[in-house]
Amino acid sequence: MSEAQKKVKVHVDKVNKSYGDNHVLRDISLDIAENEVVVMIGPSGSGKSTFLRMLNQLETQDDGTIVVDGFDISDKKTDINKVRENIGMVFQNFNLFNNYTVLENIMLAPVELGKLDKVAAEKKARELLDTVGLADKADVSVNSLSGGQKQRIAIARALAMSPDIMLFDEPTSALDPEMVGDVLEVMKNLADSGMTMIIVTHEMGFAKQVADRVVFFESGKIQESGAPEQVFNAPKNARLQEFLSKVMHA
Amino acid sequence: MTMLKKCLLGLATFAAFFTFVSTSQASEPHYTITTDATYAPFTFQDKNNNYVGIEQDMMQAIAKREGFTYTMKPMSFNSAAQLVSNGQADGIIAGMSITPERKEVYDFATPYYKTGVAWIVKKNSTIKQLADLKGKTVALKTGTAASEYGKSLQSKYGFNVKYFNDTDTMYNDVAVGNSAATFEDMPVIQYAIKNGMKLKIMNADNPSNAGWYGFAVQKGKNKALLAAFNKGFAAIKADGTYNKITAKYLGASQATFSGSKKDNSTVLGILTANKAAFLKGLWQTVQLTVIAIVLASIWGTLLGVMGVSELKWVRGVSTTIIYIFRGLPLMVLAFFIYIGLPGVTGVKIPAFTAGIITLILNEGAYTGAFVRGGFEAVERGQMEAARSLGLNYNSAMRKVIMPQGLRIMVPSFINQFIITLKDTSILSAIGLLELTQTGTLIVARNSQGFRVWAIVAVIYLIVITLLTWLSNWVEKKIK
Ligand SMILES: Nc1ncnc2c1ncn2[C@@H]1O[C@H](COP(=O)(O)OP(=O)(O)OP(=O)(O)O)[C@@H](O)[C@H]1O
Ligand SMILES: [Mg+2]
Repeated sequence: MSEAQKKVKVHVDKVNKSYGDNHVLRDISLDIAENEVVVMIGPSGSGKSTFLRMLNQLETQDDGTIVVDGFDISDKKTDINKVRENIGMVFQNFNLFNNYTVLENIMLAPVELGKLDKVAAEKKARELLDTVGLADKADVSVNSLSGGQKQRIAIARALAMSPDIMLFDEPTSALDPEMVGDVLEVMKNLADSGMTMIIVTHEMGFAKQVADRVVFFESGKIQESGAPEQVFNAPKNARLQEFLSKVMHA
Repeated sequence: MTMLKKCLLGLATFAAFFTFVSTSQASEPHYTITTDATYAPFTFQDKNNNYVGIEQDMMQAIAKREGFTYTMKPMSFNSAAQLVSNGQADGIIAGMSITPERKEVYDFATPYYKTGVAWIVKKNSTIKQLADLKGKTVALKTGTAASEYGKSLQSKYGFNVKYFNDTDTMYNDVAVGNSAATFEDMPVIQYAIKNGMKLKIMNADNPSNAGWYGFAVQKGKNKALLAAFNKGFAAIKADGTYNKITAKYLGASQATFSGSKKDNSTVLGILTANKAAFLKGLWQTVQLTVIAIVLASIWGTLLGVMGVSELKWVRGVSTTIIYIFRGLPLMVLAFFIYIGLPGVTGVKIPAFTAGIITLILNEGAYTGAFVRGGFEAVERGQMEAARSLGLNYNSAMRKVIMPQGLRIMVPSFINQFIITLKDTSILSAIGLLELTQTGTLIVARNSQGFRVWAIVAVIYLIVITLLTWLSNWVEKKIK
């Protein structure tokens, strides 16, 4: 199953980004295939979040090209809202809508964007709640949930739009250790179902288990990328070796 | 944008409604006359809260003879004079001395009362001559001829000047010793002293700057009214009506007009004697407050929404409006809208409408500022999450940011409601008969400053308490 035969879902070509003097992303190019699970690792401040958020244009690039699902989203004329409907995003801090119940959080976008009517949206929301193991929380306020529950609701909310790409920015970093497993399990099931996923995480065990490819960011550059066995067991890049020795023995 | 247009349209319709409702048509000529109701014996409110006095009785007699009707609008002398000079009102009868400067702006009718300027000190004051005022403070009423005269002596005698908007507050300032002296028209101060004001006239035998009071209209305008006044005045002078009127007021004792001693010497007495006036004033205050709260909240919310718009120019418009109307003192804005604008546009605005517009613009600006702040205070992640799902900026604002922002703002809204209630009192300056102006008029009649203002203060506190309870109840309901 070589990558060339698969459909390219995300195509990034020579993207640059600076905040003032801080050159955060330097000439990044990366292609991601349909159904592929890519895990991005790297030290703090290396540009992982910035890169991820560029894939749905929460951040804009200074130059370079980004094509998602065949749409050139780095072109200002592209209707970014339409493309975003197909890209789910899960944040470190959940960002559930505080003014709605769990069910309303999940139903909001499909109903507001006319993708589903209320009845269909509710049915779908309840199915998704079932999938993430929180069917009994449908009508509670989001503030009464634990972090792990919130993150699973956030995943359900993103899935309600039936996206075919999911972005995760450190989805388990804000969680108590005992909550991490539940969230990772939901993500693993998602990966098994064939979702194209791009994940920033520090969970190296999880990366080994689900990633098709691991990408190592450092100083705004992709220093090394490859299959998890290769990246974790036989790292070539000196900075990657140093990074791994730090996180593995932490 | 359509929402913005709708709201602006709504405001315009509202203003238009007030403008037209109050302009009624009659077959007899109908005029608007301004006056200063704190100027006994010429114009003041009697114990039944009717406007009486030499000027009022004269005006009634003349109008009856000459077959015209009028609406009498009591307000501060300055506002009264300006409303006529800019054409908002037709005539002024407010103890206005005829001076060469005023003749440039007004046309005067036959003078109706001879007067001169008195200089006055506290009853047991040690001041003997004008030279003793050096370094002391002299109280003057804004815009009167007597104050002009007083001011003209300032550099010669080296005193400081402090200005007041109504006669009674000015007298009391001297009576309690805050100011050392004041200048006032002779008959007015004579009447006040006769009625118990603890002041002393220093030049009773030789009033300075002797002159005449005259009824005035805007220069070159209202010729018919001026002619009617002159004709009627000649007639009441000839048949003795005029003499009867002056005798009635200059000869009468205080109790005749201001109520019995019993009524005025206790809080309860004042309250019962003026129940109707207080209730009317309170009702006006409540009306102003409620209408202003509702409309200023709508306008302010709109400004706040514009303030977080995606479009830079819309944000700029919001910032500018907030900057201007938050920066302008409420009273300046009220005068500008009520007295300034009509002079340019030629469209008369009723005082109530002008007051409401003033409050909407001022309170709306403050509301706009905290509404914008409230939206900005909503966590950034909420917007990002909404946008990441494909919602456009406006949907994200409407569905996610605004509901949360508004909840943060509830305490600010309640605070602004209370400020609005208090700010209505400033509108007494344009002659709105709300609670504060009601208090001013009652004090002008009975000189019971302490008791009347205590009553007014308590009424405000009660209303504010009720408003706070109501707001807190609503806040709980929202949560
Ligand atoms: N909005 C911003 N304004 C200015 N600088 C920013 C902004 N966002 C990110 N940066 C800077 O860009 C660099 C990359 O940040 P980014 O968040 O992408 O790193 P990261 O790899 O996700 O790190 P972490 O593991 O800590 O999340 C950092 O130096 C950061 O300070
Ligand atoms: Mg990050």
